[in-house]
Amino acid sequence: MNRSILVNPYVLIAPGFLLAAFIILWPLYELGTIATHEVNRFGQLRGFSGLDNFMSVIRDPEFLGALGRTGIWTLAIVGGAIVIGLPVAMILNEDFYGRSVARVIVMLPWAVSLTMTAIVWRWALNGESGMLNSGLRAVGVLDANVQWLAQAATAFPVQIMIGILVTLPFAITIFLGGLSSIPDDLYEAAKLEGANGWQIFREITLPLLKPFINIAVVMNTIYVFNSFPIIWATTQGGPANSTDILVTYLYKLGFRFGRLGDASALSIMMFALLLLFTIIYVRLAMRGERS
Amino acid sequence: MKLTRKWKRTIVSWALLSPLIVLVLFPFAVMFFTAVKPPGEVLQPTWWPSEFVWSNFVTMWDATNFGRALWNSVYVAFLSTAIALVVSIPAAYAMSRFRFAGQGFFRQFLLVSQMLSPIVLVIGLFRLVVWLGLLDNVNSVVFVYAAFAVAFSVWMLQSYFSTIPKDLEEAAWIEGASPWQALVTVFLPLALPAMTVTALFAFINAWNEFVIALTMLRSQDSYTLPIQVFSLVAGRYTVEWHHVMAAAFVATLPVALVFAWLQRYLVRGLALGAVK
Repeated sequence: MNRSILVNPYVLIAPGFLLAAFIILWPLYELGTIATHEVNRFGQLRGFSGLDNFMSVIRDPEFLGALGRTGIWTLAIVGGAIVIGLPVAMILNEDFYGRSVARVIVMLPWAVSLTMTAIVWRWALNGESGMLNSGLRAVGVLDANVQWLAQAATAFPVQIMIGILVTLPFAITIFLGGLSSIPDDLYEAAKLEGANGWQIFREITLPLLKPFINIAVVMNTIYVFNSFPIIWATTQGGPANSTDILVTYLYKLGFRFGRLGDASALSIMMFALLLLFTIIYVRLAMRGERS
Repeated sequence: MKLTRKWKRTIVSWALLSPLIVLVLFPFAVMFFTAVKPPGEVLQPTWWPSEFVWSNFVTMWDATNFGRALWNSVYVAFLSTAIALVVSIPAAYAMSRFRFAGQGFFRQFLLVSQMLSPIVLVIGLFRLVVWLGLLDNVNSVVFVYAAFAVAFSVWMLQSYFSTIPKDLEEAAWIEGASPWQALVTVFLPLALPAMTVTALFAFINAWNEFVIALTMLRSQDSYTLPIQVFSLVAGRYTVEWHHVMAAAFVATLPVALVFAWLQRYLVRGLALGAVK
């Protein structure tokens, strides 16, 4: 009796599979139903409305703005995390005194809740009392206080900077994994051949790291695309929706404006987009496994 | 000679890393120095307080309803981690020890659901929780966190389990142990580190989660720490920043310390979960 349970993989998998499938499939079914029906703000369904909700989202100028900003947001953070993360990982891969301390510090943002990070930055960026202004003025970078989060021109770039900072640990982790898989002989051989640092980087490190960079790009794209707390806890998409990205816009549609039909339609579209990213990731991961 | 070269590398490395390190430590410094300022000085943008008011941490406790939120966070994080592990360990064991029809499908399913963020499902999840009658109940959050933790837990555990040789269990069977005995006496002790790392991941994720808690929890009594601290800031005209920063500091410190302590193992786990 005992034996049959332990040896039957389906019995072992069932509880985990059912729980995970339930939490995805049920909400997805709900979303699909609401998205294709007329619905009032209390969530009561009226008649079938086909693609009306989808069309109303696409025609909303706020949607287009949020879509564009999501593109900038994702590109800038993923790009920034790769461009900064790669050299940092290469430094952390070298042997120097205090390396483990440096690693802990660089990885630290990952352990802190994004909400707390964002709230602390919100306070640090405060125009009159914020410590960033006073710090920068003391160093001589600024003459007058900057209202960082109260104007669109500075709010979004600052949020992107915070985004890069909290995305770095994950990118660096993947790169460190990649760097440790490159055999030392290769570097030594290259040095014997007289290659300089830049040549070694371009001809050895970069090509061998490429699969890891691909994975970091795709996974970070998925995470950053979905990232909600940084923007919500600093500006809630303001001032005047100028920092809304798709996830904050979605949240407002659903829980502030009570436009449940539109919100569900948007969820479905974002779900489809995420699925596409995931398929790309699975392809990349499988290719990595085969080689 | 060798020593001096390493010292040179040390200086260059730290110099290159210093801008990033300043940026990473900046929020911690802001949190700490604001938290210990006398209340009258909080709005003055100076770094160093005229005196260190440690009692801010005591007044914060009551003023921010911290105890209740701390208890909710501990409850949610522990329970959701426990549930996720109880269902994930057998599944990961099956994935690493058996070949069966549908295994490829299950792998794909795990990968896809690992990628899914709760935010795109949040409206459907909200309706599910309402339907279950669990709105504004911490158990709703426990349930959702546990379910979303299953995918990466199984994924991470199976990549560890696959590194534990099957021969060890088989040797125990040959010596007359039942599969259960082999599992408990041979496999589980070897798998314990993997389970600990996975549990820590699930715990930290649950401890830090924002959007699900923001949606499902509607009153002070059920708020977890991130939502409680957020509620002290959002939509208020006057914010008691020294209390907010003290609360954020106390909420952040334990997890950050555990992370710093176990960083090597956690980072290896993160890499395994992501790349393999």
